[in-house]
Amino acid sequence: MKKKRFDPEKTIYAVVAIACFFVLWWFLTTFTPVKNTTPDPIAVLKLLFESFYTPIGSKVITGHLLVSLRRVLVGFGVATVLGIILGIAMGTSKWASAIFKPIFELLRPIPPIAWISLVILFFGIGETSKYILCGIGAFTNVTLNAYTGAQNVDPELVGCARMLGTSERDIFFRVVLPSCTPQIFAGMQVALSTSWMAVLAAEMVGAQEGCGWMIQRGSDTLNITLVMVGMIVIGLVGMLLATLMRAIERRLCSWNIMEG
Amino acid sequence: MSKNDEILVKVSHMTKKFGDLLVLNDISFDVRKGEFMCVVGPTGCGKTTFLNCLTKLGVYQLTSGEILINGEPVDLAKHNVSYIFQEYSAFPWQTVEENVAYGLKIKKWPKDKIEKQVSEMLDMVGLTEYRKYYPSQLSASMLQRVSIARAFATQPDLLLMDEPYGQLDNSLRYKLEDELIKLWQHTGTTVIFITHNIEEAVYLSERILVLTNKPTGIKKEIVNDLPRPRDVTDVAFNKLRDEVTDLIKWW
Ligand SMILES: Nc1ncnc2c1ncn2[C@@H]1O[C@H](COP(=O)(O)OP(=O)(O)O)[C@@H](O)[C@H]1O
Ligand SMILES: [Mg+2]
Repeated sequence: MKKKRFDPEKTIYAVVAIACFFVLWWFLTTFTPVKNTTPDPIAVLKLLFESFYTPIGSKVITGHLLVSLRRVLVGFGVATVLGIILGIAMGTSKWASAIFKPIFELLRPIPPIAWISLVILFFGIGETSKYILCGIGAFTNVTLNAYTGAQNVDPELVGCARMLGTSERDIFFRVVLPSCTPQIFAGMQVALSTSWMAVLAAEMVGAQEGCGWMIQRGSDTLNITLVMVGMIVIGLVGMLLATLMRAIERRLCSWNIMEG
Repeated sequence: MSKNDEILVKVSHMTKKFGDLLVLNDISFDVRKGEFMCVVGPTGCGKTTFLNCLTKLGVYQLTSGEILINGEPVDLAKHNVSYIFQEYSAFPWQTVEENVAYGLKIKKWPKDKIEKQVSEMLDMVGLTEYRKYYPSQLSASMLQRVSIARAFATQPDLLLMDEPYGQLDNSLRYKLEDELIKLWQHTGTTVIFITHNIEEAVYLSERILVLTNKPTGIKKEIVNDLPRPRDVTDVAFNKLRDEVTDLIKWW
């Protein structure tokens, strides 16, 4: 049950590694032919800071970020709820599994990017399409994990709960759902990063705002500095989201993590 | 204890097959209200199956015959039955105290009463200092004590125990056996206790049901009216134990 404490040695390595990366980048873009195509880190960081008060297109950078985050959270949130329902249904009912499993297995390997054209065709280039594209990636991951989790619920525990007077309806909330929670969370971790990737893809086609749009805009105007600003923001936010999910998981599934 | 003639559990012509495998073969017996009955029988003869059929857990339905509680088919929402499984079955996502409180919450006990009852139960099984632990942090014997505390907490009318002390060390087993007797005398609960351990059966029971090998029937019913508290070194005790041991020599 030992808690991971702040580890100074690791932190030093991390700082040194990142510093080396920036030095190498600076070196390449100052002394080698790479400088003809690629901006140096100082230019990128400068634009990054400027973009907090100078709008790019219609919004400053935080505005674009919030737009992208909203799309991800709506898509991810709805997909997570639907995925949990479908996954658990497939994992607990033979019928649901017989009906939905084949379709699901067929659609599962298709990445969100492959859906872009079709989704735009049906739903236009508005927000709905963005939500749906973010949702697709999240949905498969969550469904699959909820399904595995529900299949592995210990029948003995269900029997036990029934014995202690739990009604059939409550069995779901009191036994099935908590049993699957660790699995579902593992799925949500992957789902969130898939959603985050999907929003960028969605925004690179037919959007007026968002992080993906920023990169597309940079690319269209040959502003590689802007492209790189977009990339850095995406990387940082993606990392932040993953860390946040892990923290929530640690809170909700502490009983499971302690086993290790 | 109570010389009550009222029948709580009536088992008539209980038969259970798994496919072609005949496990329980036309078994009939009664359990009186307040009685402490022990069932002994060889491994795989269908003792666990009997309890599962009684409680209709999962896929377990009798092939033929019936089991009645108070003259009615078993209904877990109505009949206050507790079952301590052979394998420990604490909910891994709940702490020890949450596990023990589970049945009481379901039965909507008031909060302060739950707290009191949980503390009492934890004290009884010696887990008070582990109340905030999760099952993954406990040893096998502690896990079984969690199940026992959880089952006792709801003060059941019928307590089913499937080799509950099989995996505990002797000193703890003796302690829990005495606790069980005390609880049973105190509450008047009816107990069906399955065990491998003949000494345990003789120590606890008012009646011993000795089962045969598969296809399983009743080899013998033995009334055990040794006075309590019982003493394992007592002559009469040993005589009865040897008698039961003789019955099962052929296992
Ligand atoms: N769900 C099941 N499906 C098929 N056979 C079973 C099932 N449950 C138990 N059995 C069989 O029934 C017999 C009795 O099992 P069980 O009741 O667990 O025995 P005991 O508890 O007396 O050791 C065993 O031979 C076992 O293989
Ligand atoms: Mg058994």
